[in-house]
Amino acid sequence: MHEERKAQLGEHNPFVDVAAYLFLEDIGDKQGAAGMNNYLMSLASSLAKSMPKEEYSSWDDFIDSLQKGESIISAFETVRCPTNNCVVTQTCPFTRGWQEYTKRIGEFAGIHKEVAEFYNATVKPGAVDSQCIIHQTFRSAASERIKVGGRPVRYAQVEAVTPNADDKRAPEEWLPILLEKAGITETELNMTMRNNDCVWILYPD
Amino acid sequence: MLDVALVSLIKNMSEKAGIEGAIQYWSRVGENLAKRIGEEAYMGWPSFNVALKEGRTAYSIEGDVVALTDLAITDVDGDVVGYIYALETCVFTPTIERIRYSVGEIPEADRAVAEEYNNTVQNTAVCNFCVIHQKFRSEVSKNITVENQPLECVQLANRGFRGDTKIAIKSLEKIGINPEYVRSLLRNYACVYGILMKGARLRGKEEAD
Repeated sequence: MHEERKAQLGEHNPFVDVAAYLFLEDIGDKQGAAGMNNYLMSLASSLAKSMPKEEYSSWDDFIDSLQKGESIISAFETVRCPTNNCVVTQTCPFTRGWQEYTKRIGEFAGIHKEVAEFYNATVKPGAVDSQCIIHQTFRSAASERIKVGGRPVRYAQVEAVTPNADDKRAPEEWLPILLEKAGITETELNMTMRNNDCVWILYPD
Repeated sequence: MLDVALVSLIKNMSEKAGIEGAIQYWSRVGENLAKRIGEEAYMGWPSFNVALKEGRTAYSIEGDVVALTDLAITDVDGDVVGYIYALETCVFTPTIERIRYSVGEIPEADRAVAEEYNNTVQNTAVCNFCVIHQKFRSEVSKNITVENQPLECVQLANRGFRGDTKIAIKSLEKIGINPEYVRSLLRNYACVYGILMKGARLRGKEEAD
């Protein structure tokens, strides 16, 4: 969705956001962290699959579209790219929903973190809470729908911080490889994370 | 993002749990939300209406709600036992617009869930999200008192994003409001409902009985 369009559409309704969290908690109550994790991943994958595929002739065209919010992968967030492969999300798209939940309901239910621990142990270590699972799975599934110069795009998570300041960085042994792909140093990552919520990378397969 | 993702799941959910299962899921979400949001007590209707205007009541989670203070609901003795309220924008509208520009069309299951709800629960839904927030309003009213009296919420009229409307004629008759008047409110508002003291002896209800 184009940035101007995003601004025109304005904020989403707090009722829908909070209801969505409670719906997920209901799943968690009935199916536990494992079942909830499956549900979150399936929710994010089916969302990506319902969006149109994309083709770009060059990586520059893709990055331009990404930063303008025209690519499906940046449909729900505003991003900037400090390098050709590093993507920075200034504000997590779940921030408002989380704020509405904590304002109207109270502390975020523990299951949202428990499911992230399950995800980190069994899928990929990159999530702080349930919101990261949805977001990271979506990015991964959405990137599979994009081709640049005929080659598929791949996604990897570097670091995320949630609205309540919990942080998750890629494991130490993965970090040098990810930073090399991102084209930034660890110091630059630390500096970026002071003012932003998420750092991730996109690269051609 | 979460709202759009959930909508893309409606189809999947309806296929796995059935349309009835989806309605049960949504109803439970509305019920849980009402339970989690806590209790409220107001000294009288003016304090409740001010709280509503300032966005301090549980109902305010749905967005800007206007108290139509010219439309008081009175009992058989002529005492005010409630008012009509109107939601300016349907809670679902921002999500629908986001879906339009990021995904495309709304899943057919949206309409199927609303139709099944209309046939089996009450004929007041214009889309699947009506199931959640009508249940929410009905349940949250039980946790709010005005003059120490618990409340009840009655769905009166609503307009969907496709332009289709639902008018709850029987409920309007009970509270003695002309359906045509409420229909005209839908020109400016997306959803109209009454909040009144539970068990009030309504004039229209007495006549109907």
